[in-house]
Amino acid sequence: MTHPADLRPTAPANPRPVGLTATVVRLKLSLLRNGLRQSGGRRAAFVVSAVAALLFAALQLLGLIALRGHAHAASLVGLLTAVLALGWAVMPLFFPSGDETLDPTRLVMLPLRPRPLVRALLTASLVGVGPLVTLMLLAGSAVCVAHGTAAGVVAVVAVALALLVCVALARAVAIANIRLLTSRRGRDLAVLSGLVIAVGAQVVNFGAQRLGVSGLAPLDPVYAVVRWLPPASAIGAVDSVSRGAYGVAAAQLALTTVALVLLVAAWARSLTRLMTSPDGSTLQRTESEGRERATSWAPARLLPAGRTGTVMERSLRYIWRDPKTKAAWVTSLAIGLIVPVFNALQGTGSIYFACFAAGMLGIQMYNQFGQDTSAFWMVALTISTPRDAYAELRARALALLLITLPYATLVTVLTTAVLGDWRRLPEVLGLSLALLGAMLATGAWTSARFPYSIPQEGYKNVAPGQSGLALISILGGMVAAALLCAPVLALTIWLNVSAGGDAWTWLLLPVGAGYGTAITALGLRLAAPRTAARLPEILAAVSKG
Amino acid sequence: MTQGAGVGAAAVRVQGLWKRFGQQVAVAGIDLELPAGRFIGLVGPNGAGKTTTLSMVTGLLRPDQGRVEVVGHDVWQDPVAVKARIGVLPEGLRLFDRLSGRELLGYSGRLRGLPGAEVDKRAAQLLDVLDLTGAQHKLVVDYSTGMRKKIGLAAALLHNPEVLFLDEPFEGVDPVSAQTIRGVLERYTASGATVVFSSHVMELVESLCDWVAVLAAGRIRAQGTLDEVRGGAPTLQQAFLELVGAHSRDTGSELDWLGGGAR
Repeated sequence: MTHPADLRPTAPANPRPVGLTATVVRLKLSLLRNGLRQSGGRRAAFVVSAVAALLFAALQLLGLIALRGHAHAASLVGLLTAVLALGWAVMPLFFPSGDETLDPTRLVMLPLRPRPLVRALLTASLVGVGPLVTLMLLAGSAVCVAHGTAAGVVAVVAVALALLVCVALARAVAIANIRLLTSRRGRDLAVLSGLVIAVGAQVVNFGAQRLGVSGLAPLDPVYAVVRWLPPASAIGAVDSVSRGAYGVAAAQLALTTVALVLLVAAWARSLTRLMTSPDGSTLQRTESEGRERATSWAPARLLPAGRTGTVMERSLRYIWRDPKTKAAWVTSLAIGLIVPVFNALQGTGSIYFACFAAGMLGIQMYNQFGQDTSAFWMVALTISTPRDAYAELRARALALLLITLPYATLVTVLTTAVLGDWRRLPEVLGLSLALLGAMLATGAWTSARFPYSIPQEGYKNVAPGQSGLALISILGGMVAAALLCAPVLALTIWLNVSAGGDAWTWLLLPVGAGYGTAITALGLRLAAPRTAARLPEILAAVSKG
Repeated sequence: MTQGAGVGAAAVRVQGLWKRFGQQVAVAGIDLELPAGRFIGLVGPNGAGKTTTLSMVTGLLRPDQGRVEVVGHDVWQDPVAVKARIGVLPEGLRLFDRLSGRELLGYSGRLRGLPGAEVDKRAAQLLDVLDLTGAQHKLVVDYSTGMRKKIGLAAALLHNPEVLFLDEPFEGVDPVSAQTIRGVLERYTASGATVVFSSHVMELVESLCDWVAVLAAGRIRAQGTLDEVRGGAPTLQQAFLELVGAHSRDTGSELDWLGGGAR
């Protein structure tokens, strides 16, 4: 009989950390290679995007070197570094599966110690196009502000530090994200970050507009803050050395180093916790055991009976309960409000921007069945005739209208109020309704003709290999919707340019409403037989990924 | 139990069914005749084409070639007659899992055109029998595998179909839930309805089914009553292994390092 203690001398020695780092880097390279091997299209896409990114980085590098000595150069590169870091922080939220070595849950079963693992993962994340581009941009930034030998030496350290901070930041965010994503509620919440991006994009947009007006000077006060924020503080240190402020430079470098150490420590801690604690979904399940949901939803009783009411009720519930659907809706609602109203507030807007609300919400009619995911089989099994399909599509359109009609009206009235152009309210409302009708019509038709699946995990909205389909569906549909609106648009223009036409622009409200209704009905009628005839094909398309 | 082996009494009739996915042939010319009123097992190893076959029979996947009739109606020519008469529990497809169990049944029943009050009555009874009443207001996404199979079964039974198709209904299901599902299915077939289910667990099929079709590599290897398929073999497992041509390999000296302490 063998006593366990006897085995100890023959047990394997501690795994060598050097080997682990090399292995993880090799793993990353293999994953990259295998990902490319999957399809020619993917390879082409990768090569094109890699070349474009490197070209862009090279141009930036040249541009930054050319900027050497410019009065506001330091402000520009400081901000550039900050934006780069922000990009690194946000990236894992949107492409959590983009880098499989980023997902330590896949390594949970292996006997790995956190410290070598952190080192290995950090090294692996330095491999790739993204880090290379970042390195080029950081190097460019450093060259841009480095004057003198001392600054050159500091620049080398600063670039390395800044790059490491970027990568560590991405890793730390990614792992926090994984922790969040393992519980259902966390996952549901996380998807809503689309809103942050929607609003953020608008803010950046307005910021850029202001810069365009007044040049680089407004950057200086921003830089005063940013140069103390790692990793921009590393580039700030180079600038400080060039100016002879060695004490400031030392402080900035120290700050960056501390930030790096803290980030890595935080990351290592979450990594250890993640790899030693049970999956969040298990805990969540027992927690929510006691909570109950109200049996019936009061407004549901107001919905019509039969298929129409049933489908509307489910669609409306899904807007609230399904994270993907909710995120899409919140984003649409936010952008639909922000673009017209912000533009109006800035004085750059036109009242016609109010149509944006109807347009953004109309997008939700696209890929209806993709929003069902593979649960579409439950729908497919109850559609036997084009009539059933018509009822299904109409109910979905009605559910959408229930929210969109009041919302689009509200946004239009709000925009009008800000601009004070009440005379144009009827025509803009009429245009909105016509656009909404066209979107619903084309949305219903493309839902039947070009369905594609929406992966439920992560932030991707299109499964691999279906992005072309999604593009055709949404872009083609939107172009078609714009064309379908042409009659009402033409009427609007005609009434506005012709003498005395102004008195009749109120007519556009009933005309737009009637046109929108008619075209929606037509679109649904055309989409219904297609849906009924293509049920298995739709199911196959929406079940991918 | 009725002995409906006559030609007219077939619950499902399949002729020359083919399905290819790219280069791979998933189903290679299946002919099947499943008698009505039986508990029918469709058995085969992983990748045999069970799910593909069931998907084509239930109208969820379009065959490349072949005819499928369910209770005398062509699945692709006459979907109105077929879809009202079948209940389906697919494998690997989601449910509308952001609804609670109760809401899912309400949705599913009303979508099939049943009156609301009747749906609610049946749903309450099914939830009770399947031991889901306590979880009826929880979202299906938070259900365990066994609970999901049970709620899927309830949704498939709600409109009282003549033929029930279940793809791997016992996969990942705990013994208690499995026993519940079993009880419901036995009661259902006793009333003259037909259950067709796929599985690769032979003991289960042997204890549940009175009629078996063996599928391997996209072809039917045998079909008939349990006794006919079992033939001279002591168990269905043995008969099955012979039919699909799997011989237990002698692993003798190949894995001699395995076991006996770490090295």
